[in-house]
Amino acid sequence: MPDPSRLYEAILNGDHKTSVAVTREAIDAKIDAMELVSRHMVPAMDEVGRRFECEDYFVPELLLSARAMKAALELLRPLLAAEGAKSAGRVVIGTVQGDLHDIGKNIVAAMLEGGGFEVFDLGANVAPQMFVDTIRERHPQLVCLSALLTVTMGSMRTTIEALKQAGVRDSVKVLVGGAPVTPEFARQIGADGFGESATAAVTLARQMVQA
Amino acid sequence: MRIKVISCDVMFREICHLAAHSPNQVDVEFLPKGLHDLKSAAMRERLQQQVDAASTADYQAVAMAYALCGNGLAGLQARAIPVVVPRAHDCIALFMGARQRYQQYFDTHPGVYFKTSGWIERGSTANQLSGYGLDMAALVARYGEENAEYLFEQLNQYKKTYNQFTYIDMGIEPDDRFEKQARAEAGERGWDFERIAGDLSLLRRLVDGDWSEADFLVVPPGYRIAPTYDDRIIEAREAAP
Repeated sequence: MPDPSRLYEAILNGDHKTSVAVTREAIDAKIDAMELVSRHMVPAMDEVGRRFECEDYFVPELLLSARAMKAALELLRPLLAAEGAKSAGRVVIGTVQGDLHDIGKNIVAAMLEGGGFEVFDLGANVAPQMFVDTIRERHPQLVCLSALLTVTMGSMRTTIEALKQAGVRDSVKVLVGGAPVTPEFARQIGADGFGESATAAVTLARQMVQA
Repeated sequence: MRIKVISCDVMFREICHLAAHSPNQVDVEFLPKGLHDLKSAAMRERLQQQVDAASTADYQAVAMAYALCGNGLAGLQARAIPVVVPRAHDCIALFMGARQRYQQYFDTHPGVYFKTSGWIERGSTANQLSGYGLDMAALVARYGEENAEYLFEQLNQYKKTYNQFTYIDMGIEPDDRFEKQARAEAGERGWDFERIAGDLSLLRRLVDGDWSEADFLVVPPGYRIAPTYDDRIIEAREAAP
């Protein structure tokens, strides 16, 4: 019987080859896909996030771990669907207009996927209208906005305004994050939540879809 | 006035030029370029140490040749003497001479990397302060070849989305070497290139003590810098006791 905790180790070590190998073994041994995700994958990404917060891991480690996780998730996706695994929720995520930074946003998107969410990633420099159109098309519960510069944070305000203008603001919860974003700013612009870190964002996302 | 200027190394030529011409007696301390790549608390702590050391009876104010710098100045406290900061998000606004000009240019040119003499010649690369953006050899040594290739591709993704170097000519450079280098690098990357004229007047007013409320924040002793999220950029709030 393969040891699925090796999946935890592989993700933590950013070893995508091992994460794929272990996942294949687990699938062959008919280990429950949802259990693999919730017992081993999610805790691994949580630990990765924790290490990043205490400056043990930096962006390269995050990228390698996210890659290891995503590779395993790719193999599990059809099984999760077949098991009737309910999506934790639908999320639209993007970096706001004017801002081209996306590494942090990509990591949050990967962690949300690992956490069972259906994620629509609009990329970077996303115009407010694009968020509006995607909300209308995909009906997400959550909209996650990212910015890495104080000079582009204003676009978060204009994006929320655009959601209001379009009459879709009340149909979603808006989460904001990114290095210069603060709880005070989130309150000021009428966001529903502030993600202090990638891990915190995922925890908050889970709480918000249940609310 | 006798003032202490604490300046980011990126503004070396500009601040030296202005200090030399100032009616004030100006002492200058330069801190390494790229502190904004550290977490904002770490940058603030570094600056606070310098502000604390400068807050003596020798000076009438500490003038910060910095902008908000990704919240690196948020929380910075004035001790026994006032701390003066230009109202600006990033140093690029200081090179351009007005935060409105920076916002306007930024909004109409996403995907631009800015270059000045300091950005080209000062200090070791900023990235080394945070261990980010290692070169290929260092990545291979740390992560192995296959991981290194993946990381190199990921960390250099921005080269596909950014598409222009804008060189800001401050008028004090000895010749066109910096412009030439920026232009050449743009060519190598297949990026566009634009040269714009900078404006020393905002930095000059910082060094000369011409601190209008509209363009500068004068933080009184016992107060700290806080972001306002509006056009004022920053304000002074009472520091916790």
